[in-house]
Order: sequence, then C-alpha cells, then structure tokens
Amino acid sequence: MASSSTSLKRREQPTTRDGDQLIVTPLGAGSEVGRSCVYMSFRGKNILFDCGIHPAYSGMAALPYFDEIDPSTIDVLLITHFHIDHAASLPYFLEKTTFNGRVFMTHATKAIYKLLLTDYVKVSKVSVEDMLFDEQDINKSMDKIEVIDFHQTVEVNGIKFWCYTAGHVLGAAMFMVDIAGVRILYTGDYSREEDRHLRAAELPQFSPDICIIESTSGVQLHQSRHIREKRFTDVIHSTVAQGGRVLIPAFALGRAQELLLILDEYWANHPDLENIPIYYASPLAKKCMAVYQTYILSMNDRIRNQFANSNPFVFKHISPLNSIDEFSDVGPCVVMATPGGLQSGLSRQLFDRWCSDKKNACIIPGYMVEGTLAKTIINEPKEVTLMNGLTAPLNMQVHYISFSAHADYAQTSTFLKELMPPNIILVHGEANEMMRLKQKLFTEFPDGNTRIMTPKNCESVEMYFNSEKLAKTIGRLAEKTPDVGDSVSGILVKKGFTYQIMAPDELHVFSQLSTATVTQRITIPFAGAFGVIKHRLEKIFESVESSTDEESGLPALKVHERVTVKQESEKHISLQWSSDPISDMVSDSTVALVLNISREVPKIVVEEEDAVKSEEENGKKVEKVIYALLVSLFGDVKLGENGKLVIRVDGNVAQLDKESGEVESEHSGLKERIRVAFERIRSAVKPIPLSAS
Amino acid sequence: MGTSVQVTPLCGVYNENPLSYLVSVDGFNFLIDCGWNDLFDTSLLEALSRVASTIDAVLLSHPDTLHLGALPYAMKQLGLSAPVYATEPVHRLGLLTMYDQFLSRKQVSDFDLFTLDDIDNAFQNVIRLTYSQNYHLPGKGEGIVIAPHVAGHMLGGSIWRITKDGEDVIYAVDYNHRKERHLNGTVLQSFVRPAVLITDAYHALYTNQTARQQRDKEFLDTISKHLEVGGNVLLPVDTAGRVLELLLILEQHWSQRGFSFPIYFLTYVSSSTIDYVKSFLEWMSDSISKSFETSRDNAFLLRHVTLLINKTDLDNAPPGPKVVLASMGSLEAGFARDIFVEWANDPRNLVLFTETGQFGTLARMLQSAPPPKFVKVTMSKRVPLAGEELIAYEEEQNRLKREEALRASLVKEEETKASHGSDDNSSEPMVIDTKTTRDVVGSHGPAYKDILIDGFVPPSSSVAPMFPFFDNACEWDEFGEVINPDDYVIKDEDMDRGAMHTGGDVDGRLDEATASLMLDTRPSKVISNELIVTVSCSLVKMDYEGRSDGRSIKSMIAHVSPLKLVLVHAIAEATEHLKQHCLNNICPHVYAPQIEETVDVTSDLCAYKVQLSEKLMSNVIFKKLGDSEVAWVDSEVGKTESDMRSLQPMAGAASPHKPVLVGDLKIADFKQFLSSKGVQVEFAGGGALRCGEYVTLRKVGPTGQKGGASGPQQILIEGPLCEDYYKIRDYLYSQFYLL
Repeated sequence: MASSSTSLKRREQPTTRDGDQLIVTPLGAGSEVGRSCVYMSFRGKNILFDCGIHPAYSGMAALPYFDEIDPSTIDVLLITHFHIDHAASLPYFLEKTTFNGRVFMTHATKAIYKLLLTDYVKVSKVSVEDMLFDEQDINKSMDKIEVIDFHQTVEVNGIKFWCYTAGHVLGAAMFMVDIAGVRILYTGDYSREEDRHLRAAELPQFSPDICIIESTSGVQLHQSRHIREKRFTDVIHSTVAQGGRVLIPAFALGRAQELLLILDEYWANHPDLENIPIYYASPLAKKCMAVYQTYILSMNDRIRNQFANSNPFVFKHISPLNSIDEFSDVGPCVVMATPGGLQSGLSRQLFDRWCSDKKNACIIPGYMVEGTLAKTIINEPKEVTLMNGLTAPLNMQVHYISFSAHADYAQTSTFLKELMPPNIILVHGEANEMMRLKQKLFTEFPDGNTRIMTPKNCESVEMYFNSEKLAKTIGRLAEKTPDVGDSVSGILVKKGFTYQIMAPDELHVFSQLSTATVTQRITIPFAGAFGVIKHRLEKIFESVESSTDEESGLPALKVHERVTVKQESEKHISLQWSSDPISDMVSDSTVALVLNISREVPKIVVEEEDAVKSEEENGKKVEKVIYALLVSLFGDVKLGENGKLVIRVDGNVAQLDKESGEVESEHSGLKERIRVAFERIRSAVKPIPLSAS
Repeated sequence: MGTSVQVTPLCGVYNENPLSYLVSVDGFNFLIDCGWNDLFDTSLLEALSRVASTIDAVLLSHPDTLHLGALPYAMKQLGLSAPVYATEPVHRLGLLTMYDQFLSRKQVSDFDLFTLDDIDNAFQNVIRLTYSQNYHLPGKGEGIVIAPHVAGHMLGGSIWRITKDGEDVIYAVDYNHRKERHLNGTVLQSFVRPAVLITDAYHALYTNQTARQQRDKEFLDTISKHLEVGGNVLLPVDTAGRVLELLLILEQHWSQRGFSFPIYFLTYVSSSTIDYVKSFLEWMSDSISKSFETSRDNAFLLRHVTLLINKTDLDNAPPGPKVVLASMGSLEAGFARDIFVEWANDPRNLVLFTETGQFGTLARMLQSAPPPKFVKVTMSKRVPLAGEELIAYEEEQNRLKREEALRASLVKEEETKASHGSDDNSSEPMVIDTKTTRDVVGSHGPAYKDILIDGFVPPSSSVAPMFPFFDNACEWDEFGEVINPDDYVIKDEDMDRGAMHTGGDVDGRLDEATASLMLDTRPSKVISNELIVTVSCSLVKMDYEGRSDGRSIKSMIAHVSPLKLVLVHAIAEATEHLKQHCLNNICPHVYAPQIEETVDVTSDLCAYKVQLSEKLMSNVIFKKLGDSEVAWVDSEVGKTESDMRSLQPMAGAASPHKPVLVGDLKIADFKQFLSSKGVQVEFAGGGALRCGEYVTLRKVGPTGQKGGASGPQQILIEGPLCEDYYKIRDYLYSQFYLL
C-alpha cells in the first residue's frame, strides 16, 4: 500500500524537500509478465502507461491493481501496442472506472485493438459475472481513444509526449513523456532488430531521466534473425519433403504476420514446394490483413520497397482455413493455427491428430506462457494427454524457434548504454530473469551513477528532481537586464510549465489574456454650493485640485489625483474615476462626504466617544481571530506560559510571541511558515497599526 | 534581442505565380516551397537561381506543382543541394505529380528542363516528418526546431512552424479551416501570437463561399444533368492534390444513387496515386480514420472509379456518357487537354473546372466571363519516325556518333601520346567511355580505328596492341593458399534475396506506361498543328479549391494575431486590401515585400531568462484564467550557484504598484451572467448594456477585435448613486482578477 499514502500527500507543498517527487508504481508487470500497467506521478500530473490483462488469470484477478490509484486523477493514458497484456483492460478502465483523462495510441494499434478485443471477448469462456467488459464497452471505448502518430508531439495539461517506433509488432510505440523538463521513456515491448516487416526500435534523440524498460528476455541472447529463419525454413522444408505435416501454433496477430512473410517468400523462391499448401487458420488475422495492408508505410524500407511493386501482405502461397471441417488432411502441408499455447481450438485439434506420427513436426515460434501445453512439449515428454483425456505418444518433432521480437540482453544493454539514463526501472519480466538482468546491468554501469530498480506490483519507486523553474522576462521589463539587487515587478503568467514575466500593459501583447480598465461615473443629487464640497474635501484629503471642465466650463475637482468631482447641473454632481481599490475607497468617502453635507448632520463627534472602549474590545477580538486562524492553519495551537502560543506540527514545536511576532523553533521551515502566516494574519486583522500614528 | 528573421520572396508576390520564399532565421536560410507553374517558365526561377546555393534547408508545404514543381530543376541546374523536409504524403504525391508533369510534357514537346532521374534524385533525400513532429535541425541549424502542422488544403499539406529560442515563425499558405471529406481543417488557429506569420492573401477578396452541402449538391446536379442527356463530363484536375476530394464526392454519390455511369481517373500515375493514398489514412480526416478503425473500410477503395493510365484505354471504353477526371488542371498539357479538344464541340458535354486556372493557361482563358466561343489550341503529339524521316534520323545519328567517336579518338590519341612512355596506367582507358565504344561497335567503317584505340590500348611497354591483362594470382603463405574467411561466411542477404530483386526500384513505382515511355527510345518527333476549337460544350466553374475565403482568412489572422505579418502570393489588389485590413485591425507591422526585396522581421522583443526561486514561488498565489495562471510578483534579482540570475523575494516592502484588472469581458456573456443573477438587463443602443433601471455599462475605445490585440479594454459603467450601482459593480469586478 505504498502508493495509497502518496496520493494523500499530493497536496503537500514541496518546499521542504530538495526537488519535486516523482513516483513510479507498477500496477501490473512489476516483476512479472502480463497485465502491463505503470503509474507515474510528477508535479501533480499523473500518467498511466499501458492497461493490460494477465493472460493466465480470468475475471477481476487478471486486472492490474487499479485500486491503488484514483483513476479520476489520471491525466493521460498511453497504450504502447495492441497485445492483450498491454491493452486489454482498457475498455474496463475507460467504462467502469472514474477515469476521465485522455487516451492515446497509434493508428495501427487502434485499428487492431478493436478486432482483437472483440475476439478476446468472444473466445474467453467465462461466466457473465466474470466478464470485465462486453463488446459494447469496446465500441464505446473506441470513441474515447485518440490517435497519435510516431514523433508527433502532443501536449495535455502541460504534459508533453511523443512516441518512437518500438519494433515488436505493427504500430508498437515507445513513449517519451516530458513534464517540466523531466523526461521519462517507457519502452513497452520493443526490439532493436529489424525484421522482415518491422523497423527496429528507434534510439530516442534525447536521453531520458528515467527509462522504464521491459526485461522479458532477461539475460538471454537471441540467435541472429537469419539463422533463426534458416532453421525455421529448413525444418519445414525437410518435413514436407519427407511427406510430413508442419504445425505452427501461433498467436493470431503480430509475430504471425512475420512468419507468413517468411513462408510466402520461401515458397516463392522454391518452386519445388509450390504444390504443398500453407494454411493460416485465423479468421481474426484475415480481418486484420486490411490493417497490415494499409499501414504499410509505418513498416520498414524493405516492405515499402516491395510495396512499390505489389503489396507483400497479399500472400500468394497461403490460403485461409476457417475450421477443421474444411480441412482435407491429405499429404504434406504447413498449418499455422491459433491459439499459440495449444490450450484448445484448432491448433490443439491438429496437434492431437498429428502428434503420434514421427514424420510430422511442430514449431513453437515464440514466448510460451507457463502452464500451457506448448510449454510442456518443449521439454519433449514421452506422452501427452489429448483433449479427450486419452494419452498418446509424442512422436512428432518439436522445435522451439523464437521469433518473439523482444529485445535480448545485447540489445537492452546497448540501448541503455546509448541512452545513459540515470534511473532504470525494469518491468515486464519474470522475477528471477529480472534479478539476473539487474545484476548483469550493474556490472555494465559500474560508475554507480545509474540506479536500477525492480519494483514489484504496487511498490512505488520515488525519485526527486530538482526542477528549476525558469521564467522569461519579456517586453518592456526586459529592456534593461537587471543586476543583482535590482527589483523586478510585473505579472507572472504561467502556462503549462512555462513562466513569463511582463509588464501589465503588455499582457495582451505576449499572452492571450487582456487587461481592462473600468471607468466609473456616478451622479449624486446635490443642491448645495460646489465650494462647500471643495472645502470639506480639502479637510480630509491631502490633494484636491480645482479646475474647470473644458467642455461645459463647469467647475471640477480632482481628489487625490484619482477621482474627479464635477458639477453637472444645479442639482447634480458627478464623480468619475478609474477603478482600483484605492480610488474606490476615495470615491466612497467622497460620496459619503457629499451625502453628509446634504444631510448636514455632524455625527462624527458622537462616534468618537466610544472610540477608546471599542479599541479594547477590538483588541480581544483580534486575538481571538488570530488564534482561530492559526488553528485552522496548523491544527495544534495552544496558549503556553508567558502568553506565547505553542504550535505543534508533525512533531515539531514552535513558540510564537503574539505581540512581537517572533517565532522560536528548531525546525527552520516551520518557523518560516509560522512567521509568514502570522504576519499575514496580523496585516489582515490590523490593517493600520494604531501605535504608529 | 530576439531572433533575427528576414523574409525574401523569390517568386509569387503581387501575383498568382508559384510560391517560393527565402526565410532566413539567424543566418540559417530556409527555402520555403519551390514552386513552378504548368508552363515551366524558367524566367520565374531567376531569383531562386541567384540564391539557390546559399540555401540550408528546403521546406515543402503542398504536393502540387505550384509548391514544389521547381525542385528537380533547381536541384539539377541551379545548384540547390540542401536537405528537403516534407511530410510523407507531400513527398510521395509530390513525386507522382512531377512524374505526371514530366510524362505529359514529354508527350507533346521536347521537354528537357529535367528528366525522370532528376525527379527521383530530387525526391530521394527528402526527410519525412509527421504532423506536429518537432524536428531539431542538426549542424548549422542547431537550436532551430521545425514542425509541420495540418494545413487542410491537400493530403499531407503543411503549415510550417520554425522555432528558435521560443520565438515562432509560421508559414501558412493555402490553408483551409473547413473540414472536408478526406481532410481535417487546419490547426493554424492553435498558434497564438507568433513572432512572424507569413501567409498568403490569395483569397482575401473572395468572399461568397457557398456552404459545403449546397455546393456539393450543385456540383453533383450539374454533372448528373449532363450525363442524363448523354453528354460526357470532363474535370480537369491536378495529379494528386484536390482531385482526392472530388473522387470521394463522386464515389459516395455514386454508391448512394447507384449510378451506372462510369467514372475514369486518368493520369499517368493514377493507379500508384490511389495505392499510396490508401495507405495514408492517418493523414486524413477523423471520420475516415474512424471508419477504418471500426469497420476497416478504406475510403479510397474506389468501387465506382476506374483508374486509367493511358488514353487508349479511355478510347476503348464502352461508348456512352461518362465522367473523366484527368490532369492537368491547367489544360496546358496532359490528357485533359486532348480530351477537351475532342469534346469541346459537343453541346451536350460539360467541362467542369474545380479551381481557378493558373494565369495565362487555357483553363484560365476558358474561365473568363463570357467564355470564349472559339479557342486556338496548339496540339502537339509525339509520333515515331517513319520512312524517309527515320532514315534521315538514323543517318544523322550515325554521323553524330561518328563525329563524336572521331573526336574522342583524337583526344585519346593525344592522351596516349602524352602519356606514352611516361605513365603506366594502361588499364584505365578500358573504363573510359564505354558508351562511345558501344555506340561505335554498332556502326561500321571509320569506327574501326576507334575500336583499336578504345578497346585495345597499346601499353607503353608493349609494341603491339593487346588486351589489358590482369594477373589474378593466388596468395600463398607458408601454410598454403591464403583463405579469406569472408568467402565462407553464410551471407546474411541469403534469405532476403527473394525480396531484393523485386525491390529494385527504390523511388516509387512506375506504371507500365511510364516505364514503357521511359524505355521507349525509338526515334520519335513532336508534330504540332494549330486548331481552332469551337467551344460549344458547357463550361462551369465551381470552387473546390479547398482554401479559406477572405472572411475566414481575416478572422484567422486576427485570432493568431502575429507580432509581425508578411503577406505573399496574391494579386496586388488582394494583397493591398488585406494589408490595409490588418494594419487597421490586427497588428501594426504588416509587410508585403516585392520579389527579391528583403524585409527584416526580426522581433524587437527584449527578453532574458531568470530562475524563479522556491522562496519566491511559495509566496506567489496564482489565479487561474483560461488555460493559464497569473500572479503579480515583486522580486529582487539575485544569483544562483550556477551564476544565473534568480528572482528572490523582496527584502523590504515592495513599492505599491498600480492595480491591474486582468480578464476579457464579453458584453454578451456578462449580460447572461447578470440575468442569471436576477438583474434585469437588456441591450440599449450603441453597444451599451442597460442593467437594472439606471445603470449602463459599455465598452469604449476600439472594439470589435477579440483577444484584446488592440490594447486593454475600456469599460465604462455609469449611473446614479443607488444600491443597484454597487451591486452591478461588484458583479463586474467578479469578472476580473485584480492583481
């Protein structure tokens, strides 16, 4: 529950710390793989990265720990790519929580997101109560999702962010967030290796202050892509050449497209294979083909060049397969089928049918989740349990050739070395793998300037950033650059995290704001002689200038250089002034004076008699008010001995002398705060120090 | 002082000529747009030719000839070699536009200003940016950030923002604030108070823009009326710009109505255009990307439009009424011109112009009112040579070759003579002039000598001519033959080979016709004949230009309210009109420079940076106003450890300042506010607001401009001394912040 306390602290002023606090809390994918969701908070801005579901759990248990945060405080939610473990709890978060910020993902991600989740809802066999969301929620969420293009800079409430290509799958992005000059990079899943259709993850041109990076592959090293591809095609070629069948259980979207490209190309280059059919059994993938065919320009140059001739995603040698009933199982063939874990469905049906023939082969092409059959058969057991409960010998060859497009150790360490972030937070990796990676990275960054953290779910990482607030003084105020000791006064305008200081009359020039002057004119009935007013005014105000109005030739007075009193007619005078507190006051007293003349009742003398008595009363009142205000500010305020007030805040004690305003305390911050507060209170309740006069 | 900014128009001021402007920011020279017209008049590029070599970066705004047409020529002939920045669609569609221009021209003239290769080279090194991508310029431009933003005129069309030290220079021409079928409206209004705005006055005098629905209805009615009586409709269009909108309108209408009349889109690059456009969905309007996201319907999967890339296909199309969209919009070249000449004399036909033709073109002539009855048209055609001409041509070619060969041989002879005995570079001549060699081999007779000289070079050391001989000896060391491990490495490219041979053509696909034309080296000539074309078909012009009209331009500029404004690209009257308008209403610094006249629009803004100390900030109480917060600060300058100026709280009491009321009062909003508070309120004459029975409130001084660009507002409240007066005054104060 580390983060719940931080959300309460948010309102506290950061004056007593050196720098502003930045908090990163994984709500999911902290020392685990699945349900990616990382919360980040800095200077009152809150960001959530990714919103996934844990594929191994169902119902609420699969969600990230959303109850650790207050969804309504989240300003921006950024989704890196369309995989279930990064995007699938989004409909829930958007529709069933108080979240009302903005959501961003790339165009391709949004297009596939809908298809994928609709499919997910259909396929997941859970009871209605356990359903986190339904198709309607997905459709509604589509309206709230905004799109962002790679490199496009978007600003929301002063949070600037943009995204880089991440490799991994189509539309995958790494987000760079800039809050008041502090940059945070969230990689999501990324791969630094260019493959058949995707670009490698870009290296951001700015180094981030914090890098939240995936660690799926831990310290493993991948074989080079060409060797993997060669192994892949060799196994297939030799199997079908011997009359065997090849089963490739794969997840419908993402890496499967890469495998299809490899197969289609291999078939095109090997005419002897032309008669051997390749089937791809996924209706979902068929639907998504349109997306792949459209967003060709966000793929790599290779594909773009091929696109110049014909669309490479229009496969020539691969035909779709809708169900096992349509499938005439005669002779050698290659079938790519879902689901990737062989839990059920078509891939399992085919596996059951083919597993006992040693001519056949099964290729596992990616990361396998713990507990699935695919994970089991990698260890090549003698027997497997079929779906109907019988056991059968496992004779078919099983190959594990990973195409999973996660950065391996070499890529991760070079990526981090190029970026040199002072803070590295590892997420999205098995706890053990993550620890190994952390240890190994420590040896790579031995200078000790790099912090590497591996928070568990809901464990907050706190960092402090000295955010210098820089202001730009512009316009007239900046005509002369001031020296030390000079004073600068003007309007400070804050927009997002930028500050500008300017002269008030230039406010409209440099900002969208404008200033106004309010001229007031009131007429007062007054039948007496104008000279009387002048006489009375001169008694009260220091400066009363008489003049004559140029237009009408009537006499006029300028009181305190602010208010013009004019005789409009025999029966009226008018007061004109430009609004500000002092002028308003001058005019009010002028009005009172004029009215008093009209009434001719000199009451002032009577009031003076009570003056002394009321002063005493006032003194008591003032004390009460001061006490009440201090209590409201600091809470624990008591009247101590020798008439001093004793104030206790967070265990610190301060003593305040009510008369002199002196404060005694060991805690300098508290002392300063009380001093300022008391001064303000005193100036409010005793606006005019009577003793001075 | 601020960033130094100078603007020098190179083309396209005080007229409608193509756009091309030199903007220099702190000595870094941007060429913004590099346009040419459909007539390819080299005199327009004179100013550019004088500065081309000094340019550091080129920014392109729209993918049409007027904005980027001169790029290949300038790169090839004028010494322009700077990196080019554009959005992906501007790059692709611009490239296709230039292909189309070249091929159309080549068909009818001995066009030699640039070649397809020049186009490819010019577009090869375009650095592609996405909208709102802040690109930090490297090297000389260190510190300058450029970013394209949505302009709304054409697919990928951009407004450019150049930022240095927090000061913005914005270049916005041909923007459209109205949302269209395939494009979002411009985001120009999101820029507020830039240091410099460079914009066009093209439409400043154009005001009566009809509503979109009505315009679409008229457009479709006119077309269907002519189709129904059996006529053909020709829409002269650009290659890849505004035509996309027209295609969508027609496509949608056709599917709604179930029309069976065929629509043809005929340019040399039509199929590539649509293929690329299909993959540019993220650059299009929200509705298009939304429909793709939800139902995967790509709006540019055109079901009713047939894409054609040569005219024979059109001629072979079944007869009957049809709609043809063909390039060029100017009718100066391209298929549109041919079709116009064929169809002009049939009164049932319609030629529908969707934009104002370029000045001095056939299209412009036809758009004049009243339309001309006859036009004289020079029709040119490229025909293969035949008969005597072909023989004459071949002889001429041979003669030329021979001469060249002879000259080459003489040079060679001299060279060999010169090098004889001294140099031993005997293998070199083999490489030189393979072209001449090949040419010569084909011919007979006197070339014999050349062969001797070119192919067989007598090395200085040898008496008789011999083939150059290279001894390809194996290397040996004490372990035997030296093995180069590279020869045995599994080649990485192995798996990619399949793709490699298909992916050869790097710079975009060429249609077969293009390819055939390019490869077609058969001798041909251009024949021209002058025709008098009777124009009996209907001529209609409708506004599908996709530019904001005069009124919107003015309000847009007023909203942006730049500190300095530079006007370009419009006829003199329009420029002058907008200049006066802006001087009176928007800002005091409006410039409309002549060609090659440099205006210095360096802002006279003073600025310095200070650090705001925590101590000061903890005492500042901000008040929120719109999306910004304001506060008054009184401070003292101090130094930080890093020797930066910092603002500290005042040691003593601050001298009192004149109070400032901050806020923007809108009389109408205030009226609503008052009535919600139960005050009887109504508008009296002269913009005054009568509140209650006696009190009146009015704005005085210059009014009508929003954003307070003209200075602080003056509000006058007057009335007799009464309770109401103070009540209303309090309400009025509540609309402002007092600092």
